[in-house]
Amino acid sequence: MNIDDAHEHDAASESEAAERGSEIGASESELAALTADMVDAHADTYPVMRAGVAEWADAEAPAQRAAVSRRGFVATAAAMIAGGLALAVVPAAAAPRARLAALATGESTAGVPLDVVVAGLAASLENLAVGTYRAALSAAKAGRLGSVPPAVATFAATAMAQHADHAAAWNSVLVKVGYRPVTAANPVYAKVVDADFAKVTDVVGVAKLALVLENVAAATYLEAIKALSSEAAVSIAASIQPVELQHVAILRFVLGEYPVPLAFASLGGSAPVSSANGLAFTKR
Amino acid sequence: MDDDGTGLGALIERSEDDHADAMRAGRAGLDELVELGHERRARGEVDADEAREFARRRSGLLRDSAAGAGAAVGLAAAVLALGDAAAAAGTPGDVTILQTAASLENLAVATYGVALTLPFVGGASANSVVKAFVTTTRRQHAEHAAAFNASIRALHGRPQTKPDPVLSTVVDRAKPTLTSAAKVVALAIELESGAAETYVRDVALLRDANARDLTASVMGVEAQHVAILLAVRALIDGGAAAGLALPPPLAALPAAAGRVGFPNAFYSTTTARPATEGAVR
Repeated sequence: MNIDDAHEHDAASESEAAERGSEIGASESELAALTADMVDAHADTYPVMRAGVAEWADAEAPAQRAAVSRRGFVATAAAMIAGGLALAVVPAAAAPRARLAALATGESTAGVPLDVVVAGLAASLENLAVGTYRAALSAAKAGRLGSVPPAVATFAATAMAQHADHAAAWNSVLVKVGYRPVTAANPVYAKVVDADFAKVTDVVGVAKLALVLENVAAATYLEAIKALSSEAAVSIAASIQPVELQHVAILRFVLGEYPVPLAFASLGGSAPVSSANGLAFTKR
Repeated sequence: MDDDGTGLGALIERSEDDHADAMRAGRAGLDELVELGHERRARGEVDADEAREFARRRSGLLRDSAAGAGAAVGLAAAVLALGDAAAAAGTPGDVTILQTAASLENLAVATYGVALTLPFVGGASANSVVKAFVTTTRRQHAEHAAAFNASIRALHGRPQTKPDPVLSTVVDRAKPTLTSAAKVVALAIELESGAAETYVRDVALLRDANARDLTASVMGVEAQHVAILLAVRALIDGGAAAGLALPPPLAALPAAAGRVGFPNAFYSTTTARPATEGAVR
């Protein structure tokens, strides 16, 4: 199922809900009108993000040279770690740059500026989210998740589209600075998510899995904001992290949990740069 | 993270308590700030070169925002115009940005406090989920204000204990009209959106790493407040207040309820407050 299919699914779900005449179905048209206004407003936010992308591309060449100099310690740290899953050896509370430095390793990321690796990592996590929501919508359509409430289907379709937008943003950055886009899902997390998704049998299971993925993305962006050297890249990450946390809040509500339990966003669960190992960082 | 029962739980290194983790990170940042504060002067108040650099970057970002808004009119355009004027002055720096942030938090604390005195928000007739949300959110804003003021002190600036002066007039005008939960929610959305958008814009402008870390850790939480408030408003306006429960009656919720809380893929900054608006005068 592609994104267009998902939107069709979304629309179909709304139509089906209206036909079923849900208990509060009378409010559907009002809600739809309200959200239509918001969708219009959504278009206004794109130029801001695109301006950030352009600014980063303009500044990236000298910034990359500077980054290599500033982060000479990255190579030293990389030599000390064999690569792969080093998540257990660096606590989340460690200083972000030290944490990223300690985890920045692997053949595919060797010699690639840290900001570019972070952009690729972000794109790979977004790709994973898109694929997961897409699989969930397909499973729902096939009846493998039992009864799927219309609001949940709408959430999945909308979140999937937004993650696709995020992936496109990061890939536009990669292309502008001379790299090929990262179109694959994060190889480290995809392996685990695939295994977990195979065990999912209902909407609650999907929501729990989505909640984990959204938390990983949000925490990764929070860490990226701390670590990125490009001001424009920080702006892009800053425009996405709150949206991931909004997904988290709604998912928690769906699961019957208090939606905003933390006063400060957590770094817990952030994806380390080492999880970008295996991604193709190739020059165009 | 709750026990998700998935393999990801094992993959992800998490603290035993997310809140403690977040607070620990915040404290670590503040401790570092205090240490740095002895070595550094308040940003934007002394160094003319930095002030000019800040003005250049802020002006650039505001121009981008203005272009993004296209034919934006009304409050958003006025805010941008004010922001550009401030940028042209070339004086705001980290302390000023943090003071404005603290002023926004102070206003939120005060406004939610007023809301809790209303019977349909904080009284016996209030929806329990809404009441819990307002109570918890007010506490979270108080924690944000304290954190921003700690950052200001560490940078040898003057803490901001007053509310944002411009938005305060909006709240004062609104108070007599707060006759229903829907009106309170609408006002809260305006305040939360203003705060979230201000932080999203300013996080890239902050020079001090710890001030940036703190702002980044707060902006997403304000966005979460917005998401829940948007959902609450939609359900109330749609006559579906029965959906305001934990757990919610999922099967009965309208399909649109699944997307109303997060209308944009990229967080907007069109109603961000000027960085100097809440500066200590």
